[in-house]
Amino acid sequence: MRVLLRRGFFYLITAWAAISLNFLLPRIMPGDPADALIEKFHGKLTPAAVQALRVLFGQGHASLWQQYVDYWHNVFTGDFGISYAYYPTPVSDVLGQSIGWTLVLISVCTVLGFVIGTGLGMIVGWKRGSWLDSLIPITTLLSSIPYFWFAICVVLLFAIVLHWFPLSGGYAVTETIGFNWGFISSAVYYAALPALTIVVASIGGWLIGMRNMMITTLSEDYVKLAEAKGLPKRRVMFTYAARNAMLPSFSSFAMSLGFVVGGSIVTEVVFNYPGIGTVLFKAAQAQDYPLMQGIFLVITVTVLVANMLADLAYVFLDPRTREG
Amino acid sequence: MAINVATVQEVESTDSVVSSRFGWLRAFRRPLTLTGVIIVAIFCVLAIIGPFIAPYDPSSVSKATLQPPSPEHWLGTTQTGQDILSQMLYGTQVSMIVGVLAAVFATVLSVVVGLAAGYLGGISDEILSLLANIFLVIPALPLTVILAAYLPKTGSFGIILVISITGWAWGARVLRAQTLSLRKRDFVEAARATGERTTSIIFRDIFPNQVAVIAASFLGTVTGAILTQASLAFLGLTNVTEWSWGTILYWAQVSSALLTGSWWWFVPAGAAIALLGTGLSLVNFGIDEFINPRLRQAGIGTRKAQRAQVRPTRLKAPRRSRREARASVSGGRTGDVILQINGLEVDYVGEGSTTKAVNDVTLTLRRGEVLGIAGESGSGKSTLAHAITRLHKPPAWISAGEMLYQRDDGTVVDILTMGDEELRRFRWEELAIVFQSAMHALNPILSIGKQIEDAITAHRPSMSASERAARVLELLDLVGIQTDRAGAYPHELSGGMRQRAMIAVGLALDPEIIVMDEPTTALDVVIQRQIVEKIIELKDRLGFSVIFITHDLSLLIEMSDTIAVMYAGRVVELADAKEFYRNPRHPYSRGLLGSFPTLSGPKRELAGIPGSPPDLRHPPSGCAFNPRCPLAFDRCTVVVPPLFALSGEAEWRQAEAACLLYEGGGTVPDRASVHETDERLIEEAR
Ligand SMILES: Nc1ncnc2c1ncn2[C@@H]1O[C@H](COP(=O)(O)OP(=O)(O)OP(=O)(O)O)[C@@H](O)[C@H]1O
Ligand code: SF4
Ligand SMILES: [Mg+2]
Repeated sequence: MRVLLRRGFFYLITAWAAISLNFLLPRIMPGDPADALIEKFHGKLTPAAVQALRVLFGQGHASLWQQYVDYWHNVFTGDFGISYAYYPTPVSDVLGQSIGWTLVLISVCTVLGFVIGTGLGMIVGWKRGSWLDSLIPITTLLSSIPYFWFAICVVLLFAIVLHWFPLSGGYAVTETIGFNWGFISSAVYYAALPALTIVVASIGGWLIGMRNMMITTLSEDYVKLAEAKGLPKRRVMFTYAARNAMLPSFSSFAMSLGFVVGGSIVTEVVFNYPGIGTVLFKAAQAQDYPLMQGIFLVITVTVLVANMLADLAYVFLDPRTREG
Repeated sequence: MAINVATVQEVESTDSVVSSRFGWLRAFRRPLTLTGVIIVAIFCVLAIIGPFIAPYDPSSVSKATLQPPSPEHWLGTTQTGQDILSQMLYGTQVSMIVGVLAAVFATVLSVVVGLAAGYLGGISDEILSLLANIFLVIPALPLTVILAAYLPKTGSFGIILVISITGWAWGARVLRAQTLSLRKRDFVEAARATGERTTSIIFRDIFPNQVAVIAASFLGTVTGAILTQASLAFLGLTNVTEWSWGTILYWAQVSSALLTGSWWWFVPAGAAIALLGTGLSLVNFGIDEFINPRLRQAGIGTRKAQRAQVRPTRLKAPRRSRREARASVSGGRTGDVILQINGLEVDYVGEGSTTKAVNDVTLTLRRGEVLGIAGESGSGKSTLAHAITRLHKPPAWISAGEMLYQRDDGTVVDILTMGDEELRRFRWEELAIVFQSAMHALNPILSIGKQIEDAITAHRPSMSASERAARVLELLDLVGIQTDRAGAYPHELSGGMRQRAMIAVGLALDPEIIVMDEPTTALDVVIQRQIVEKIIELKDRLGFSVIFITHDLSLLIEMSDTIAVMYAGRVVELADAKEFYRNPRHPYSRGLLGSFPTLSGPKRELAGIPGSPPDLRHPPSGCAFNPRCPLAFDRCTVVVPPLFALSGEAEWRQAEAACLLYEGGGTVPDRASVHETDERLIEEAR
């Protein structure tokens, strides 16, 4: 369990670093974002809002340390200021409305992409040297396609030409958000194309990584021994080869996840999906710094949690990490 | 970028040895890699000449709005009548410059951090690694978006900076691991031991490997940077009046190109990104295969070998009927033959060359016999062991021979012609194998109890769980492991215990034959003795036959009934162990015996055999031993000697040796004079 404690500690440091970075960025960047915003919303800001901006972006009269303390206070109370793109909604409300969409979409797609990609990679690696190897160039092409462009093509084909799926949005406007069948089925229907995009675009990377690891693992003595023992093929493939081959996927999960999350965020924009990605796009357009920073924090924390889950899975799969 | 994660990671653990400084150039011969190189090259050329060959000014508007591709506008026009081909050509330049420069900066950063962390070690390593790990976990794109949003007016240069700041961490981590493991690599140690200068070690041995890893990480970063730039541009976070692939997509998106069905507006830019990314990835595969030889092998000679493995019946050797085969097993020989190997040949199919690692091997194993196989490193012992169990993997394949196994009831089967299911049943039930390194042969993620149990489950499906558990405990007890360690994982056991566990796995189903490929080499002498004694004790008790492979000739002579000496893939001497020890006949055996001190009896002087084993890809003509044989004569370079039967005592079998000196009942000069010759040769060599 020491491993998990160590990892947990590492994530705390990372979270601290990310939040501090968030605090520092506007203060070290050229120009003065707070002034720019106050200028832009000239007269429309309440004194309280101006004060919040100052806490977020500095230039207050307090010392840097005092600003830092205030900033942490805000972070813990969930006070990220007011969004300008969605003025006068507080950033936390904007985040609250969009995070759920993204969370569900990306987590489902990441898991699907990982399972399908790794599963296919396992089979292609197992049958190395067969016709399946010719899939590799195709998968390479697939994994090199920018998510958002693939999204555009998918929309063109399935929404505009074939009319199978809706063009954009997260659910039919006729439905009311809530735990009711109409809404859920509509949300699933609307999520189909974005999900398809993310899953297909992310499969390639998992597939090729797993295939290569599988081939490397297959020449390990313990796989040979498993074969020598006359174990059924399925057991050799899963318990001996694949389970070991999968381990590096978990230890490099952070990077792959960052890749998928980044791609998905831009994908949302294409579908005008009511998630964080679309909000980030609007925030960037409107130079809405408080919102952008809030989004960055939320995504970072979510990714950290996802990484912790991956670490847990790793510890579950690999007894060597469990000692001590 | 995500693509090479797993394999680059792998570098940390494999001991890939780079044979020559320009070995990596070979990677470019693979068609896929070559395709990648060509694609990348074309894009590079376009990036340079693009603006000069563009037919129009990419920003100039015209009346020809939203035109599909036509002879005037090959890729059509935008909503404002701009020429998309021209935008693409200008865009190639910007996108490539951003991608390459960002990758250069990121790579420089990762090389500096990675090498520094790897070489300095200690606290600097801790801090730098922590930094890299933090940057790795923080999702890059949102961070990039924020950074880019703060720097909206800086154009491409700001974007390059931002991408390099967020993109260096992975490369740094890989390079650090690589540096750490390189420092400990055998071949670096070896180079040092042979007295090579440090600089030449760095440039000949360390550098090519590092360069390959750096190149892989660089190309990956180029792909990542181009994608990130495109994403940022698409989100409108770059200077949207500067043409890049991403800006084209941005304008297409904000002008609702999708809704107007103007596919030509956004298809080329995305296709270009995908194509270039594919090209870079393909080049990276080549590099991966260079770094990780196992991947390379998966592609080489694989078709042929794989087919041979799938259909083992297709052999060159003429098939005999089963009755005939049976006759040859019982024909004339004494004792109860359990395994008869006839004319076995195993080839490694390489690029262009074929290595005959096992060449025309004929061996007999009786019930209860311990057959020892000796030979220098590379003489084909392991290849033979794997072939016997049919565990050989491409590029190895069995090109000729038969392996006849006689069951208890007297029926004879050829192991090579068994179908998949028959082979699966046969394995372990009748024939088990123990590998050299228990550390590598035990599955690290399963407890040893489970690894014993699953063999039982696979072959005795009717056994109940509690019966299986009882059997596991019985086996552990048999090999001398406390039964409460059944739930232990391999890494929790000592080396000796692991090897015992391996033997317990081997005994799980009471096999008739156990093949042991250097089962004790990795252990220290005391443990080695214990294990060997255990094996002999178990053999006497359970009555299985053993094929025992080792470098340790003195050990072999002590424990074996008969001994086979291999040289360059052939069995060159075959005799009773005692007879062999008393009177080795083959000049090579004599050299070997001269070079091994025995545990019992007086210590022998280490005479050694001058020279080194032949390159099996280009074996010497005639007797493979002739370049090193002190007794070689003219005929030795012409005729390949078969095994000649010899006179002398024989308990298990009549001694045989493959040396032309015994042709036509001839004899060899006695031992003393052979030694004299050896010594004279050594003198001369000095
Ligand atoms: N995968 C491979 N591809 C090509 N050649 C190979 C391969 N594996 C082994 N060989 C060649 O086959 C020959 C026999 O190798 P093998 O491993 O059987 O030797 P060995 O007698 O077991 O040596 P050691 O005592 O070092 O274990 C060697 O010359 C080696 O170069
Ligand atoms: S055949 Fe010739 S070269 Fe070969 S071992 Fe005999 S004497 Fe030496
Ligand atoms: Mg060997």
